[in-house]
Amino acid sequence: MKKTLTVLCALLLTTVALFANGTAEQKSSLQVVKPIEITFWHSLGDAARSGWIQQRVDDFNASQKKYHVTQEAKGSYRDTLQAAVLADKQGNAPSLVHVFEVGSQLAFDTNIFMPVGNIGSFDTSDYIKPVLNYYTINGTVNSIPFNSSSPVLYINVDKLVAAGYSADYVPETFEDMIKVVETAREKKVADANISFALHGWYFEQWMAEQGAVLLNNDNGRAGRATEVNLTSAAAVAIGNFLSTLGKKNLYSYTGRFEDWDGSDAIFTGNKAIFHITSTADLGNISRAVEKSFTLGVGKLPIPTGAKRNGTVIGGGSIWVTKNHTEQELKGARDFALFLTNTDNMVSWHKLTGYYPVRNSSVDKLTEEGWFLSDAKQLVAFNQLLTTIPNSATAGALGGTLLDNRTIMEQAMQKILQGGDVQMVLSEAKAIADAKLKEYNANF
Amino acid sequence: MKETNAVFKSRGISFLYLSPSILILLTFIFYPAWKAIILSLYRSNLFLGTRKFIGAENIQNLFWGPLAPGFRQVMVQTIIFSTLVVGIGISVSLFLSVQANKDIKGARIYRMLLIWPFALSPAIAATIALFMFNPEVGLVNAVLHMNIRWLDSPVLAFLLTVCIAVWKNLGYNIVFYLAALQSIPRSPLEAADIDGASPVKKFWLVTFPLLGPTTFFLLFTNITYSFFDTFGIIDMLTRGGPVGPGPFFDKEGLTTTLMYKVYLDGFGGSSNMGFAAAEGLVLMAFVVLVTFLQFRFLGKRIHYEG
Repeated sequence: MKKTLTVLCALLLTTVALFANGTAEQKSSLQVVKPIEITFWHSLGDAARSGWIQQRVDDFNASQKKYHVTQEAKGSYRDTLQAAVLADKQGNAPSLVHVFEVGSQLAFDTNIFMPVGNIGSFDTSDYIKPVLNYYTINGTVNSIPFNSSSPVLYINVDKLVAAGYSADYVPETFEDMIKVVETAREKKVADANISFALHGWYFEQWMAEQGAVLLNNDNGRAGRATEVNLTSAAAVAIGNFLSTLGKKNLYSYTGRFEDWDGSDAIFTGNKAIFHITSTADLGNISRAVEKSFTLGVGKLPIPTGAKRNGTVIGGGSIWVTKNHTEQELKGARDFALFLTNTDNMVSWHKLTGYYPVRNSSVDKLTEEGWFLSDAKQLVAFNQLLTTIPNSATAGALGGTLLDNRTIMEQAMQKILQGGDVQMVLSEAKAIADAKLKEYNANF
Repeated sequence: MKETNAVFKSRGISFLYLSPSILILLTFIFYPAWKAIILSLYRSNLFLGTRKFIGAENIQNLFWGPLAPGFRQVMVQTIIFSTLVVGIGISVSLFLSVQANKDIKGARIYRMLLIWPFALSPAIAATIALFMFNPEVGLVNAVLHMNIRWLDSPVLAFLLTVCIAVWKNLGYNIVFYLAALQSIPRSPLEAADIDGASPVKKFWLVTFPLLGPTTFFLLFTNITYSFFDTFGIIDMLTRGGPVGPGPFFDKEGLTTTLMYKVYLDGFGGSSNMGFAAAEGLVLMAFVVLVTFLQFRFLGKRIHYEG
């Protein structure tokens, strides 16, 4: 017993000594003139993207002495936002937080952020309009767009040609797409399926393409939204498309909601003729199918007879937390602007396929001939640049958009399994409205 | 009724010895449970940090209004899920243990292999299942040369989840059953032999009753397992989906158990913590009721040795 006690005491003493050393070291380093610390929390933990961010951080730190930036990947978008809210309560929130697009209203309502547009004056005219629109709340630029993408159509050209179409044919509408698949099946083309992840994101996109708002009060931009328009004519048009896919057995997926990798695997595994996913996957999918089939890319197909309005921007933006000194805020803003400057957005785009969010970056890429060597990227760009700015394509702002995605996904699945479109959508609307009401009652 | 204890003279000493467990229970069970009860009376959002007293409104929303059908469905399917996981789990492991307990060549290896899944975490068990049963690129469909919709056909996905949950817990049950089987005294079995009882009769009339305490213990741990610990399997395998057949089971995913719904409502979506706490309360009441019934009606029938 005594022996154990002695050992314990010895251990305790060493630990204390170790800690004492640590503080001594810190004290000595304090005597050097300290730059202002700026912390950036983001959700891009994979080696390629977090490595890219670290490089920009190093560049920024080397370029000036006033600020010192550190970056940290905090897990998923949700985890990052939750961690930031908790950190703010404890008084040590990071200066910059990476927030995903559907979390915008939620982040806004946490009341820990401030619009970046209110920190001094700076020029935002170079940011691509439809992108900046999403992140402009009440007329002020709220956050700096960072990783932005939208969905495009991926085509297995080999199967398309086997079905008797020309290699450069791109279906414009749902009906065109269905017709191709049916023709291909008549001609016994193997695995002529349509594959896209079962994701509420597409529902949002198809609403915007038709110029229809998902939420009332101008998509929640004229005032707090109180209703989800899941029974509007535009929503029914989407439902009817899914219903046809289900009834004619044209759709293929893994069965899980939001299974990006799973649906990509179906397409890259040569088991589908059409696939819909983010422009950010252009790089990965092109590489994956290089040896098995020719890849084509087209604009997102839309309901037949609808006027093409364009897509809503997806991805994330960088928010500034408000409980900091004036100087910290300026430093945070400057780093966010540096991260998204012309050259950085060019290299970001080349690495990932995310849109470079500045017009000058697009010009630069054009000059370099990037679009000639990678014409597929041009399709994605045109889809973005021809988007008509209105409240539908600006995207919805609502505190329950995340719940909404699940509700829409359940409805989509029910319709695919043969449920009545009108009935399923009105049930979904009742639940979505109830959740929104519950959320709004917090204020 | 005042009982005198032969071992401990005063009550103080027994409480002293109990204090570590009581302290742990207070910190990790009773205090959080109390907090959950309080939280269920508030409208509280994780992101917004809001806290508004609304009385029984959260509980009311569970049983009336647009969110109630989903909750009812989840309650019913949780009962079905638990019954299947516990029922199949205990019968299969009892059968396998009895087989593995026989004097056959390589019995030790069989036993080890049977206990193996116990060493896996639920998340890993589910990931293995995911690789095997992915309808498009999974191993099972490739071997069968068929396209069985394991994960998006609701009933299949539900049964698959049950099977993976049973498999994952098989090792745990078998460890206890094997230990119990090996400590069964030989004399009653020999007596049965002398009386000319058939093997089946011997099992049901001698072995099974003697396994009573183990079965009773496993019943309880398995119910807890099926309610709470299957979370990882569900999260990895189906994320609570797919939506079941109408008109009753089409409100939520068919593999969403009560536990998973608490998580979805509290930490998913817009994080309505008060509502999730109210659901947690129902879950707690459920477990308390089941445990009470078990001790009340089964506990008396169990024959403990010694």
